[in-house]
Amino acid sequence: MTTRDIVFTAVGAVTALSALLSVTTKQVVHAALWLLVCLGSLAGAYLVLGQELVGLVQLLVYVGAIVVLVLFALMLTRAPIGPHAEIDTPWWQRLVGALLGAATTALLASLLLPLFSGATADLDTPTTTTPRVAQAVFGTWVWPFELLSVLLLVSLIGAFAVSRLVLHRDGGDGARHPGTVSAGARSDGRG
Amino acid sequence: MIHLSLPAALSALLAGIGVYGVLARRNAVLVLIGVELILNAANLLLVTAGSRPGAPLSAGPVLTLFVITIAAAEITVALAIILVMFRRTGHIDLTAVPDLTDDEPDEPDDPDDPDDAGDPGDAEDPRAADRDGHPRDATREPAAAGEALA
Amino acid sequence: MSWIVRMIVVLPALAALAGLLTRRQRGLAAAVAVSVSAYVAVLGLIQWIAPSRTADIDSVGSLPLGDLSVPLHLLSDRVSGLVAFVVALVVLGIQVFTAWYLRDDPRYGQFAATVSLFAAGMLLLVQSGDLVLMLVGWEVMGWCSWLLIGHDSERAAARRAAYKAFIVTRVADIAMVVGIVALSVRARSTDLMAVLTATGDGTLLTIGLVGVVIGVAGKSGLVPFHDWLPDAMEGPTPASALIHAATMVAAGTYVIARLFSLYAGHDGARTLLAVLTAVTMVYAALLALVQTDLKRMLAYSTLSQIAIMLSALAAAPAELGPGAGIAHLVGHAFFKALLFLGAGWLSVLAGATAVAALRGRLRPTGALRWSMGIGLAALAGVPPLIGFFTKDTVIDAALDGATSGGGLRAWLVVVALFVTVVLTAAYCTRAWLLLDTPVAETGALPDLEPAVVAEEDVAVVTASDSADDAEVERVHAHGHAPITLPAALVVSVLAALTVVGTLFLVGLRGGVHVGLLSALLSVLLVAGAAYAVWSVSDRGRLDVADRVPSRVREPAVRGFGVDTAYVGVGRAVTAVARLVVALDRDVVDAYPRAAAVVARAAGRAGERSHRAVPSLSLLSLLVGVVVVAVLGVAAWR
Repeated sequence: MTTRDIVFTAVGAVTALSALLSVTTKQVVHAALWLLVCLGSLAGAYLVLGQELVGLVQLLVYVGAIVVLVLFALMLTRAPIGPHAEIDTPWWQRLVGALLGAATTALLASLLLPLFSGATADLDTPTTTTPRVAQAVFGTWVWPFELLSVLLLVSLIGAFAVSRLVLHRDGGDGARHPGTVSAGARSDGRG
Repeated sequence: MIHLSLPAALSALLAGIGVYGVLARRNAVLVLIGVELILNAANLLLVTAGSRPGAPLSAGPVLTLFVITIAAAEITVALAIILVMFRRTGHIDLTAVPDLTDDEPDEPDDPDDPDDAGDPGDAEDPRAADRDGHPRDATREPAAAGEALA
Repeated sequence: MSWIVRMIVVLPALAALAGLLTRRQRGLAAAVAVSVSAYVAVLGLIQWIAPSRTADIDSVGSLPLGDLSVPLHLLSDRVSGLVAFVVALVVLGIQVFTAWYLRDDPRYGQFAATVSLFAAGMLLLVQSGDLVLMLVGWEVMGWCSWLLIGHDSERAAARRAAYKAFIVTRVADIAMVVGIVALSVRARSTDLMAVLTATGDGTLLTIGLVGVVIGVAGKSGLVPFHDWLPDAMEGPTPASALIHAATMVAAGTYVIARLFSLYAGHDGARTLLAVLTAVTMVYAALLALVQTDLKRMLAYSTLSQIAIMLSALAAAPAELGPGAGIAHLVGHAFFKALLFLGAGWLSVLAGATAVAALRGRLRPTGALRWSMGIGLAALAGVPPLIGFFTKDTVIDAALDGATSGGGLRAWLVVVALFVTVVLTAAYCTRAWLLLDTPVAETGALPDLEPAVVAEEDVAVVTASDSADDAEVERVHAHGHAPITLPAALVVSVLAALTVVGTLFLVGLRGGVHVGLLSALLSVLLVAGAAYAVWSVSDRGRLDVADRVPSRVREPAVRGFGVDTAYVGVGRAVTAVARLVVALDRDVVDAYPRAAAVVARAAGRAGERSHRAVPSLSLLSLLVGVVVVAVLGVAAWR
């Protein structure tokens, strides 16, 4: 057990715990916030693993952009504030989900642990990997990199087009969700 | 010096938690959180593999960066779809039986739709029901208010 | 001169159109109908006196049908001139009579227009030198007969009779069309002269001639198509007079007479015709004897008389030509029109057409009594009335045929003719005695009142209630309007023509040809039958038909259930059609529809699977992924 092992264990524990909380919490917004914690600590794990660039990008993109997007989405879809039992699937589905999750973990662990058993990374020499990563990105990986920029553009336009999609559901909503648009709820909201 | 079986184990754990998150949630955004966790498990595995001595071409970190980018693109589109679903059905409940009936082709657009449909704020469709009784901005939707009061 | 020929056809058709346009103005409609038919009668007279003796009168130009020549010519010769004139004359009389008879009918205009169109159809048929034109006239008459019989369309019985006439004749017309097509194909032309002179395929000739005979049997009411004609009495009496006297039912005789030279050389078709006519004339005369309704009795007598005309064509030797049949057509036209119009007049006076109601009603009516007497005598064949000459011409022609090698066919006709002579004289005497013997002399009405029969099936036109119910209602509603002078004049003129009409036939080859011996024999038979009826009926105090056991008589009055047989045939055809439809739908179509059903089921299944709840789908997807992954890892290990 080296120092790094101990640090990684601590950071990893935070990551795993926050991930678990983010999928089990009964409060919708808390789930997003626990995701924030999880991703942030994962960035710390990258740092411990010596990939500071990846860790920073993780912070920037995931924590800074994606989680914010998720929070926005929760707001726009009128996510309830406070604990809510209705955000989870029925118990039997959750049970199957837990079994499947455990199975996935076991499967991956049974694959990965033998692969990485005894493998170590020597990170104690004070060198940075960033120039190498930069050279690789703009050298070996430049075409995939450019393709990725195109993909981003396409996804941007796609998201725009999809959100412009006007899908009508005339009269159906009121009929299918009676009481949701009741005048009483409205006046309460206004007050 | 670090033992790489630790991050590998964390990766497996994250993937399992992500799978559980996908299956245990009925809110589509929360399902998306589970998907993010699985993606991060993959990222962590890539970084771990890239940290092995003698890993070629810096593939680990570079592919991690790519995956992060792709994840950003993916979540943008996924959230757009979720918003459209919310506008159409009034909820984002994945346990509800979907209604696949066709829309009336000659239905006129909402009068205020073309201007600000791209704006995320437009998600407040007049007919999108407030299923949890949250306040809605009646002043911005006079037509809807009149319709509901009528 | 050819314009006259065309005008004779065109004018009545135009009159029909004009009558339809002026149907609201009753007087105008009557004026158009009567004046045009008078003008056509004059034109017919001119054509008869001076026929142009040509068969090349263009009508509407020939049809460009490639290989088949369809010139659509009209013709004009002595026979067509005579028949056209007689038709025009009878139509004129009927139009005049109708103007009085339907005096209160709101649909008089339509009726008169239909009569005009009917006349146009008949005149077209008479003057056509082309099989296609002949068929056109034939079908126009079929359609008009439907309109005329169903004139009182408020009554279900009239509608049914109209449909019955239409459908029965239409069924026979299938054979007619087939026959005409066969004849045309054989001659590569529809021109009558070409058809007559063509030589060639014997099979086609047989098909053609037999087909035409069947078609004629339908329109002329030979067994087994005869039953529509008595039911057609549902029409107003002038319509009956028109259909029976000179036009529709007699048209068959004219058609076969036109094709006589072909028939003369073809024994098969002639034998068929002879058998049909022999059976029909005796059978119809027997039924006429027991009828309880005057109009239905006349209808059966028409069947019998038409069969006599056709039997002349079936039995006459080739060198004699069709003159005998045409002569009887003309004679029958006069006396049958007289009888029908007289019966109409009488029914107006009595308010009924049932014999029971008409008993003794003829006695106090003066001119009508004389006219009916002349008509019945002519029908029975009393010399020197026209009926005697024409009927004995037919007998003589048949005897000629029998002695000059006609064989069994001609002898059959001869025997049937003599039997018919007796029966005809019997039913004419019966009718006269019933109509003329004052009621006081009959004493108490016999208990065997045939009115019992009437209570039964409404659909089958029966018996003792009057056939022409509408007229009866009309009389009850408006009282006994006195007959107008022109209408009475028409009846009288027809009576006069019945007496002197033989002069018409002088110019016709083979028109009057009475053998001394056969004439003597038939006169004796007529007298004997009349005397027998007179004595059996106790000098007219009783109805001879009442001697017939009611077990036989009641079915006889209804025509022995032939109507039911028709309905049965119709039902059978419908059932076969249904069977075919069922086979087509349930057997042949089963395979394509099975494909459709499978596709639809697959579509439903696909739709249902696509409607799955997303969370469940995700669950199953991940279960599948994990299972596959576990299997893969296990295999890899």
